Amino acid sequence: MEIFVKIEAGRYIDSLETLYASSVLAEQPGVDNGYAGVASDAFKDTLQAEGLYTPALDKATANDFVIVAQCEDLAAFEQAVEAVYDSFDSEEMQETQEEHFISIKAAVEKHPEANLCSVAVPGENALCEVKKALNAGLHCVVFSNNVPLEQEREMKELAREKGLLCMGPDCGVANINGAALVLSSINNRGPFGICGASGTGIQHVAAMLHEAGTGVSQTIGTGGNDLKDPVGGIMMLMGIDALEADPQTRYIALISRKPGEKTFPKILERVSRCSKPVVALFMGSDREMVETSGAIYADSLDDCAQKCLALVNMEYPLASEEELSRLAAQEVQKLSPEQKYLRGAFSGGTYMDEASHVLVERIGTIWSNCPLEPEWKLENSYMSVQNSCIDYGEEEFTLGRPHPAIDPSIRKPAILREAADPEVALILLDFILTPPGHMDPTGYVLEDISLAQEMAEAEGRHLIFIASVLGTTADLQDLHRQQRQLTQAGVIVCQSNYRAAMLAGEIIRQKKEIDKNGL
Amino acid sequence: MGCEKILNLFQSELVTVNVGPKILATALEKQGYQAIQVDWKPAAGGDREMQEILELLGGLD
Repeated sequence: MEIFVKIEAGRYIDSLETLYASSVLAEQPGVDNGYAGVASDAFKDTLQAEGLYTPALDKATANDFVIVAQCEDLAAFEQAVEAVYDSFDSEEMQETQEEHFISIKAAVEKHPEANLCSVAVPGENALCEVKKALNAGLHCVVFSNNVPLEQEREMKELAREKGLLCMGPDCGVANINGAALVLSSINNRGPFGICGASGTGIQHVAAMLHEAGTGVSQTIGTGGNDLKDPVGGIMMLMGIDALEADPQTRYIALISRKPGEKTFPKILERVSRCSKPVVALFMGSDREMVETSGAIYADSLDDCAQKCLALVNMEYPLASEEELSRLAAQEVQKLSPEQKYLRGAFSGGTYMDEASHVLVERIGTIWSNCPLEPEWKLENSYMSVQNSCIDYGEEEFTLGRPHPAIDPSIRKPAILREAADPEVALILLDFILTPPGHMDPTGYVLEDISLAQEMAEAEGRHLIFIASVLGTTADLQDLHRQQRQLTQAGVIVCQSNYRAAMLAGEIIRQKKEIDKNGL
Repeated sequence: MGCEKILNLFQSELVTVNVGPKILATALEKQGYQAIQVDWKPAAGGDREMQEILELLGGLD
């Protein structure tokens, strides 16, 4: 095997397009490992990490498109390069009939009816594009991440001055006028307005409201850093103002990790003046402080959804702790003596965090690439030990590639890798549904799940799979179809990530007890 | 500044200018919303210094 490089100077291709190029490249005969992308520093780092960097790339810049692959021979590489270019040509041919613009200004001149700008450019360019959009009078949703906090503050101050929304940077979820923006799920409209600094959190609560038969008026994602003190909650404060004034919104839900010390009292003071009922989930915050503001306190995402539903006399039926414990007792019986550990492979950071908290309470140390305690950090994210959970949405996996919700191939190898360890009793997975995401994210891994189960059975073991699917029946992938596919493959599907983690933790805890007491 | 413009957005038909990957515009179109694609490329071939000069001259749009 040898590393081959092709550099095309002066061609910019965005990261999602290069994803498809990388996928096409990897599928070609004679190609062992390959990447295609613009030669940014981040991309070069990825190549270094993959052992694909060669000095030929030293002079390539972010303005050059490169294809690098480890191939059997030059002929295989040339054939693979041709396949990559063919994939571009077919996309370009499809798009020739469509209207494209080279700038926001040009787009707005032709379409003065435009009212929102979705910005997903590299973080270092986000401020510049957002300012242009705000100055053109457009509300913004900004998916770009890695934007310095002072730049985030600058764009949000400009938005506030102009009375426009600036959702993000780092905003993955927002539902405006029924549209699922960025990586949101499609939801029914209803009386709940949600404003939150946790994308997965908003999506989770909105999905439960949808599945219970109600829905959301608007959901305003602020970006994960909005409630940090350097930003000061500018967008959450504006969001509360807007939802309070919006006649379609009757109830408000606020969702965030624990806000900054200076920002938290400002948010609570605003909540105390709100004329509509507010359910507040500020993870890890003081209950009394929240309740003093007049808000209804929620302590988890499931709880937040249930507290919202209680306001309209509804409830989402969730398995109780006792029911999960009974199910765990049945599953434990199927395990062989050496099986004692769990492995979580997550596509969302919020969900891995939530699961880790649930698991630690039941089974102690959870090793991870983003652990709850610094001393639980895995030395190598590709080599799990004992009870481990990996967040495949972390930068180490997504550098130069899209999020696992869009590109599930990032997490796919984990299933067979973890299943090969004879001490593994169960594998815990999450799935996220969203319009730009993979059209069949559970179907994509079913073959590997079946293979993993067959391999375990052949060696006299029973491997348990537990999963949760975040999304709705209105999503293009259809929540129920996704859940059904998993169930038919022998996967235990829980109604929420929290419940899935609870069941997983309970199985491992009971197994530990049986092993200890020799029952 | 009050929230009139935000309420106005809530009461209007959503028309999105998409700056970045086309896949996000396509996702909106699949849901039946209008999306206008801007094919973003780094200005001045990604040269930061040149971008700053252009911005000062008002040449970035």
